[in-house]
Amino acid sequence: MAQFVQALALGVLIGGIYALMASGLTLIFGVLRIVNIAQGAFLILVATFTWWLWRATGLDPILASVVTAPLMFGLGWLMHRFVISRIRGQAASMSVLLTFGIALVIEGVLNIVTGNRFRSATPSYFEESFRVGDILLPKAQVYGFLAAMVVLGGLYLVLTRTWTGRAIRATSQNPSAAALVGIGATATAALAFALGSASAGVGGSILSVLYPFFPASHYDWISRLLGIVVLGGMGSLPGALCGALILGLAETLTATYGSLQWSTLVFYLVIMVVLLARPQGLFGARLREDAV
Amino acid sequence: MTLIRRIPRQHLVAGIVLLALILYPVINPWQPYPQGVLLIAFLLAIQASGWNIISGYAGYISLGHSMFLGLGSYTAAIIALHTGVNPLWVAPLGGVTAVVVAVVFGSVVLRTRGHAFVIITIALLLSAQIVATNWDGLTNGSDGITLELPFWSSDFQNIPFYYAFLILLVLAVLFSAWIARTKFGTGLIAIREDEGKAASIGVNTTVFKIMAYGASSFFIGVAGGVYAYYQTFLNPVGSFAILGSVLIVLSALVGGRGTLYGPVLGAFIVSLINEAATVYGGSTQSRVLILGLILVAVVLFLPAGLLPTFIGMYRRRHPVETEYTDQEGALKSAAIVRDRLPSSPVSSAPLLEVRGVTKRFGGLTAVDNADLTVERGSITALIGPNGSGKTTLFNLITGNMQADSGTITFNGKRIEKLAPWTRGHLGLGRTFQVTRLFKDMTVLQNVVAPLPDGRLRTMLADAVSGHEAARARELLGIVGLARFADQKAGDLSYGQQKLVELAQVLMLSPELILLDEPAGGVNPSLLGRLTGVIRELNQAGVSFLVVEHNIPLVLDLCDPVHVFARGSCIASGPPGQIREDPVVLDAYLGDDWRPQDAHA
Repeated sequence: MAQFVQALALGVLIGGIYALMASGLTLIFGVLRIVNIAQGAFLILVATFTWWLWRATGLDPILASVVTAPLMFGLGWLMHRFVISRIRGQAASMSVLLTFGIALVIEGVLNIVTGNRFRSATPSYFEESFRVGDILLPKAQVYGFLAAMVVLGGLYLVLTRTWTGRAIRATSQNPSAAALVGIGATATAALAFALGSASAGVGGSILSVLYPFFPASHYDWISRLLGIVVLGGMGSLPGALCGALILGLAETLTATYGSLQWSTLVFYLVIMVVLLARPQGLFGARLREDAV
Repeated sequence: MTLIRRIPRQHLVAGIVLLALILYPVINPWQPYPQGVLLIAFLLAIQASGWNIISGYAGYISLGHSMFLGLGSYTAAIIALHTGVNPLWVAPLGGVTAVVVAVVFGSVVLRTRGHAFVIITIALLLSAQIVATNWDGLTNGSDGITLELPFWSSDFQNIPFYYAFLILLVLAVLFSAWIARTKFGTGLIAIREDEGKAASIGVNTTVFKIMAYGASSFFIGVAGGVYAYYQTFLNPVGSFAILGSVLIVLSALVGGRGTLYGPVLGAFIVSLINEAATVYGGSTQSRVLILGLILVAVVLFLPAGLLPTFIGMYRRRHPVETEYTDQEGALKSAAIVRDRLPSSPVSSAPLLEVRGVTKRFGGLTAVDNADLTVERGSITALIGPNGSGKTTLFNLITGNMQADSGTITFNGKRIEKLAPWTRGHLGLGRTFQVTRLFKDMTVLQNVVAPLPDGRLRTMLADAVSGHEAARARELLGIVGLARFADQKAGDLSYGQQKLVELAQVLMLSPELILLDEPAGGVNPSLLGRLTGVIRELNQAGVSFLVVEHNIPLVLDLCDPVHVFARGSCIASGPPGQIREDPVVLDAYLGDDWRPQDAHA
């Protein structure tokens, strides 16, 4: 029983962190209709940078997101301005190929600059745990989860309470109507891309403590995040949260009762089953397509 | 000599290159290095040609296509290991495994439109690697499988592999060319251009996409079997490498996706770059960077690829003369339409009956418990103010949307739950308010694309010549656009596009055609022809349901007229009666309108 509760608790912690990582992807998709394959590479880029920062200055890796998030916001904005926005109006497949190319470039640069080996940030609390009754909660996971929740909560407030957030949501629902009421599509898209990148800034910093990583790990991460987004419904933020929790739980439960090797596979299996039953994902709405 | 001149130039070039490649090992047998480079280029070209079927023709990008090479390799290697048969002889089974995997997973993911597919292709590739690593009993885990050395004398070096891959490449290109010629291929391009429209002209988009995914994997799987033997060793990381997929995508993109020879051309270029990067660039690490930079650059600056860009430049220097609508040719032969019409039993039952149909979008009830009847042989009009739910009702009848409740009966058969393409096969055709032609296809391809039934034989019928193409030309003749057959549909004027769309619908041999604002944006003389065509077809036995705002046209052409307001039918009757109906005047013009205003 204790083992089960332990697995559940860990699943929820991991799920919360996944939710933060996937939120950027789903935000970008919602507004730009772009599947940002480079989101995983963003995470690894930030993780590597956080690791370097931690080694150089001793700054706590999770706290380092205070630095990495604004940096990624800026990088995301620039990337949209100079690369992504150039393919606006082209077929959706081109954006997939473009962001795939960006992911490769980031991987290649990391390979050359930092070398192709595993890294992991190990702050002092790295191997410590909180004890709640019989359950052990690793401190790193708890701190990561808390950071993720704070950022997700902030993101939610920005999207629902500010004019900018409403502009983003309006654009994601109907870009042409949003443009008609004076919301600049390009500026909103740039903002959404920057926000999505900034969330990868926080996610990557958390990742650096929780998982060993190397330049090519971004493939694992992007397929995991995409799985979450497909499960939840493309472009839906509550969907991403829900999908992340389900998959976080599925993964930890398999790792506890099955084997670690197969847990990633269970991840994909869940996605397949959901797609069989509900092709549009859990929260995916089918909007009318005839009225343009 | 004249015979050679009649072969299209690109096929001629391809033939010459093929001849050179066949002769190369004979002329220069003692240099294994260039042979090895070419051999790998063949392998990449096979994969890129396969990828092109699902991602080039149908437009569904796969980022995990190298998986099929690994599946083929493992299939051949495992069978060889357990039975002692030479891997070369069981390589075709690798193709079978690839197709089975593609069809199974395609059936799950390809039922929806959009982005789930690309995502699953990456996940599949990584999953395959995990399975191969962890299923020790079958795959020998991460240690991999070592195969016996080739059975031929080492004097022959890799020349047998060279020819094996070259043969597979020729077969893969011929297969791709054959697909492009069939109505299946035309349907795939239709899916890429406008999937919703494709469904409305009888293309079973789900089956088409799954078949395309399967077809795209076969030769890659076979090549995988041969490749395993060539390498004599395979392991999970090498067999299911994402970099392999990058090379495939890049090849097709550089050469020109969606074209026949583009992916092959691209594969040769990318292989050379890749080889140069390996030799001069140092490590694998820098190769990732170089390939990534090329991918970004190609998407940004050469999105169409080399071959289409070259062809575009050539066309601009050698423009084709513009032709104009053939006024006399039109309308000569409406009887052609009648030929293929199903000889439906002469019955007095209505052709289409809509009963109590409702459709809500969130809080908005667009169609509210609506009834509508279309009698056999009539030209029925549906008029009403904007936003009254006419187009939504159209979408419910043709299956572009599903009704929340109510029944729709067509020809005595309940259709409200059927897929749009099945309704098309039953004889229900439609045009769109704003024309939705496949703009990058030629006019003829547009008209050939519709499928009047769901049979495999129809699907695999020749779309370039033969009876389907002949019929499409006849239909183009009916609407007076036969001379435009080889123009791009997107280059036509708006009115002409409306006529092409009508010809397209006629290809379905429909019993009922739904016209959504046929007169919108059409000039008066073209409109005259349009109504002529409609009348002619009606006499040939086709019924019409017309949504139109041009009231004089409606009153002239249609009988009976139904009036829609706020989601349901408020009045019906012959045109003369509708014109005088106070309820209709009120719905259209509001309360302030007084009859005397009309005469002012």
